[in-house]
Amino acid sequence: MTPRLSLTDVQKSFGVTKVLHGVALTVQPGEVHGLLGENGAGKSTLLNILCGVLSSDTGRIEIDGRAVTISSPRDATDAGIAMIHQELQQVPELTVAQNIFLGHALRKGVFVDRARQEAEAKRLLASLDPGIDVTAPVRTLRVAQRQIVEIAKALRANARIIAMDEPTSSLTPAEFEKLLAVIGRLSAQGVSVIYVSHKMDEVFRVCQTATILRDGRLISQVPIPATPVSQVIELMVGRELAKSAHHSFATDRTVLKVSGLSRGRAVQDAGFELHAGEVLGIAGLVGSGRTELMRLIAGVDSADKGVVEVAGAAIAAGPRARIKAGLGLVPEERKRDGIVRHRPVTSNIGLPAMRRFSRLGLIRKGVLKARSEELMKEVNLRPFDVSRPIGSFSGGNQQKAIIGRWLAAGTAIFLFDEPTRGIDVGAKAEIYDLIERLAKEGKAVLFVSSELPEVIRLADRVLVMREGKISATLGPGEITEANIARNAIPSS
Amino acid sequence: MNSIFKSIKFRDAGTLIGLILISVVFASLSPTFLTAPNLLNILQQSSINACIALGMTLVIISGGIDLSVGPVAALTAILGAAMMVAGVPIPVAILGALAAGAACGFVNGALIAWGGLQPFIVTLGGLSLYRALALIYTGGQPIFGLPDGFRALTNGTLASVPTPVIIVAVLAVLAWVILNKTPLGEYFMAIGGNPEAARIAGVPVVLTKLAAYMISGFMAAVAAMILIGRLGAAEPTMGTLWELDAIAASAIGGASLMGGRGSIPGTLIGCIILGTLRNGLTLLNVQAFYQLLATGIIIIVAMLIDKFASGAGGGKQG
Repeated sequence: MTPRLSLTDVQKSFGVTKVLHGVALTVQPGEVHGLLGENGAGKSTLLNILCGVLSSDTGRIEIDGRAVTISSPRDATDAGIAMIHQELQQVPELTVAQNIFLGHALRKGVFVDRARQEAEAKRLLASLDPGIDVTAPVRTLRVAQRQIVEIAKALRANARIIAMDEPTSSLTPAEFEKLLAVIGRLSAQGVSVIYVSHKMDEVFRVCQTATILRDGRLISQVPIPATPVSQVIELMVGRELAKSAHHSFATDRTVLKVSGLSRGRAVQDAGFELHAGEVLGIAGLVGSGRTELMRLIAGVDSADKGVVEVAGAAIAAGPRARIKAGLGLVPEERKRDGIVRHRPVTSNIGLPAMRRFSRLGLIRKGVLKARSEELMKEVNLRPFDVSRPIGSFSGGNQQKAIIGRWLAAGTAIFLFDEPTRGIDVGAKAEIYDLIERLAKEGKAVLFVSSELPEVIRLADRVLVMREGKISATLGPGEITEANIARNAIPSS
Repeated sequence: MNSIFKSIKFRDAGTLIGLILISVVFASLSPTFLTAPNLLNILQQSSINACIALGMTLVIISGGIDLSVGPVAALTAILGAAMMVAGVPIPVAILGALAAGAACGFVNGALIAWGGLQPFIVTLGGLSLYRALALIYTGGQPIFGLPDGFRALTNGTLASVPTPVIIVAVLAVLAWVILNKTPLGEYFMAIGGNPEAARIAGVPVVLTKLAAYMISGFMAAVAAMILIGRLGAAEPTMGTLWELDAIAASAIGGASLMGGRGSIPGTLIGCIILGTLRNGLTLLNVQAFYQLLATGIIIIVAMLIDKFASGAGGGKQG
């Protein structure tokens, strides 16, 4: 049988970093095909190439045996490929019918033929979810229904391949059942579905085949559910561990105690203790509540309930109170949450501690500059010029400045959210060294990382999060990729 | 551009060159332009706009905008004048008016910082509100008969420099110190440059915003005192379109309406450019309609040069 979709030898580099090393993907007509891999395995890049958002360096795409060139989202649509994004791309104020026909309005002369659009939308939705009112604004719909609308839109464009990126991340179990039925109907109509998910139970119920990627390479294509779950997980994560020597400086002195911390469904009843000199890692899948937990601890978001105690005293809400208590957050989204781009490194470093650098209400710029240079020399800022706007530095050097900010503020408890995201290998090692040095000096470090080798390299203990809850605490000797993966991946 | 400090200086130099070019043109066309009395006249005429624009620049740098400055000036002028006419001691009346200006700014700032409303809309509301209060209080009539002692304050000279120019110079130095030497100035630039990052870094966002709008309201009141001192009367309709002149001066001086960037010297030069333009064109007997046209062209040309220059300098704006 001619495959519906065949990708061969897809390679892609961003600058010097190669993210896809000759990946292949073959999907049969009407097949539901799982695309599996850890964060950073290359799934998103591959999907983006398929949908024309990115173009591959090399590679061949065939649909129904015919070679196609996809260099824009438009090409992908024309080739019959549609993507249901995790963040649905809809205009909330427009009606269901208007969204389905967005950019492809049915016309009557110069006017939009609303009646025909609505009739057509109703016909498309009939086989998916007849309960959806095509004249209702999309914002009034539940996420699950909005997803159905997106699928209807794909069918409107005559899509023969629909890629779904983590479609169930905000669905209830009941809604998942409904989606499962819809996928079944699509499959029966001969539409192929590429299903990306971390949730093994779903993958095993929905998919017939799965392609497993790891570190940008095709590892295996396996039949599902014939292959055991444990084997699939092993194929996803099982890489040789390059565990460079880990030193522990942990003490028994508790500096931070978190109890019952909750916010909606994102973080539920999180509690743990952090000790002086300890490096505590938080592992888990994207969306498991790790970043949300960090932000709650840093006071950036407000908790529904729960207590954050530093040295035995409960700390008030808000970033200022938490900073005063000795906490400092190095955020994941550096550009959005970390740096003030046009301001020099000195200003970015001094921001939380302006009072320390001031006398009689005036900033002692000389002192601030000297302290900044001292701190940045230790971390090897390149180029070494603290008067330059921080936006002109590379990601790794921006990160050093943000860490320097908390060093200057006298922070005792460092909260790192993905400390090495978007940072090149050299700077990565420097940041690992820095974190180790902080621990050695008796500071406490809490960090979130999606990279398991990083977690294993740095952490004395690891909290694993799953669906908003801390599912396991791994002590020394228990921190292995398999242990983390087992507790991170929902497989019930 | 190897430092923000140098790049701002670079930007100010550009504004200054603009001013010199305009001055050269007028000097060659009008013999009276380049005389000491006329130049002082330009400074004096620019002083009210400069006063407003200093506050506006701080607000713009902090990522906001204050459209209510004209009506705030009118309202504080009315209050100050009414107090003086009623026999309240002059210093008390002045302080009262300045406090009223800061209070108006506090209301704007509170709605923006605590209410989470957009600065444009809040101060647009303020624009109507404060004007209405001034009109209602006076029944639309001007208040005449300000005491001579008060008028002498703003009509005098010091070493032959008009007092308003000196007042504004002092305020400009203060504004420059606040912006460049104090934590508050760093906070203005941080919340204007990246409000979320500033909040996470522990910047007191609410207080910083309040401070910006209160300073702006205060400066509007100072401008009002200077004007009613000169006129000897307070009109509820004064200050119309002041906000636009102030925004124009800030923008010509290098303030980014996206927030995070701006310069006190730049704003002052921007005010003088606008003042020079009006003065020079009046000397040349150009009709008022054409003066408006010239002002519009200057603002747009200044922005185009800014865009072009920053693009060429390699600094990405987006």
